[in-house]
Amino acid sequence: MKNKSIILKNLKESSAEWTSGQGPLSDIVISSRIRLARNVEGIPFSPRAEQAELKNVFELSRQIVEEDSLFRDSNLLLLDELSPLESQFLVDKHLISIYHAREKHPYRGCVFNQRETLSIMVNEEDHFRIQYLLPGLQLNNIWKLINKIDDKIEKKTTYAFSEKEGYLTSCPTNVGTGMRASVMLHLPALAMINGINDILKAISKIGYVVRGFYGEGTEVMGNLFQVSNQITLGLSEEEIIDNLEKVNQQIISKEQKVRKDLLANSKSQLEDQVWRAYGILSSARIISSTEAMELLSKLKFGVELEIITYPDLGTLNKLMLLIQPAYLQMLAGKDLDPFNRDLQRAALIRNKISG
Amino acid sequence: MLCQICKKKEVAITLTKIVEEQKTEIHLCKDCAAAFSDKFSIFPLPQFDINDLLADLLNAIDLYHKEEGIVLDKEIECSNCHLTYNDFRKSGKLGCSVCYQDFRDQLTPLLRRLHGNSEHLGKIPQQSKGKFNKIRKIKQLKKELQELILKEEYEQAANTRDEILKLEGVLKKKNEK
Repeated sequence: MKNKSIILKNLKESSAEWTSGQGPLSDIVISSRIRLARNVEGIPFSPRAEQAELKNVFELSRQIVEEDSLFRDSNLLLLDELSPLESQFLVDKHLISIYHAREKHPYRGCVFNQRETLSIMVNEEDHFRIQYLLPGLQLNNIWKLINKIDDKIEKKTTYAFSEKEGYLTSCPTNVGTGMRASVMLHLPALAMINGINDILKAISKIGYVVRGFYGEGTEVMGNLFQVSNQITLGLSEEEIIDNLEKVNQQIISKEQKVRKDLLANSKSQLEDQVWRAYGILSSARIISSTEAMELLSKLKFGVELEIITYPDLGTLNKLMLLIQPAYLQMLAGKDLDPFNRDLQRAALIRNKISG
Repeated sequence: MLCQICKKKEVAITLTKIVEEQKTEIHLCKDCAAAFSDKFSIFPLPQFDINDLLADLLNAIDLYHKEEGIVLDKEIECSNCHLTYNDFRKSGKLGCSVCYQDFRDQLTPLLRRLHGNSEHLGKIPQQSKGKFNKIRKIKQLKKELQELILKEEYEQAANTRDEILKLEGVLKKKNEK
């Protein structure tokens, strides 16, 4: 197994496949994701487990990664060995949750493959949180892949499962399938006409949740929304995926309609906004992450509408990760105060956009 | 513990400030912490994990207790990890898989409220697939049997009954092994 510094160095230089700007409906859908919560029978859920039990779970994950060919190109990191900045970098990369980075119990781990499509959080609130991400709208493909990975892990252990409640999880909001599926959408047109809130209200009534760019409890930035299922029990995985895809299709068609209307009625204003965003991003010397996310969203909108043909969607998606505080500091190789981060961020954006 | 600023809400976050080896801790609730975030943002502040789902869950638990007139005078405790039901009520998190068994009476209506359902219909682990598939099949056949009896289709009902008995026999033999 590779050591920590090599793994982190590679991770700094690589980019995740889900940011490629490709896949079905990629002009609106950035990525799709499925997460499965699983626990090992006979061991209390991680927050209540003894140190030795947490260690057992971690060692099990090491064994799985080392022995199964499915994980041939995967890495395993022990979070205890990482600095707060390095843990936060994994959050910026979408490989672990904020909760996982900050939780205090030992033997928390993170498994991920080279394409960064697969990641497994070890000893988060559940023993295993397996997630799979792909670009564009493709939940069914992800289900096929993650289902296989789940079977492989199960071969090495016995999952906590009951006939009645299904896969048992630390929080009853995840019990049953243990599955949370989500789709990350870029909805600038709906945001422009203040149409987001109505949609959010409507879908929350029928059992769906909307979150920000970094998942649970995070703010919306850059007009990016994650729509996911709330119900995990009493439906099959296929039904959950099917329903979620239908809900997303509806949101997507609303966004498409508003985009068309805006292009028909306010093309000049749109062009002005897109080119202004390009102007600032390609020349600013100091920029905060909030302002950068806002302008990158506008520029991305311009590319999606073919008002501007460069940079490509992949570059813009990747930039949205690169400009996050921890990622920036990892790239700089040192801690930076907020002012120096703003300088560094502006330089990075100029380089990627005009380069 | 209550928030040091508003002295009303539960503490959600503790900020530790170290200035020249002088360590100070400030305990804040979610709202006050948000208001304070600017002054202490050396590192991006934790995004509070008191997420929508948990809030929904805790509300659902309280509402359920209120509607059912449940007062938890006697502390129910998990026989395995010793988490009390009251602990669960506060945190929204269970301690181990046995909690689901020991708190089943309390959890079933709660799950119904959260998910609109309290029975799993999804994937079954490979190891126990055969057994659970049979249990599921028996349940489905029993439902069909009742419908057939109501429709007075007795011949068909007798066939279904035989099928149920056969499946139950297989399960019983497996359990004895």
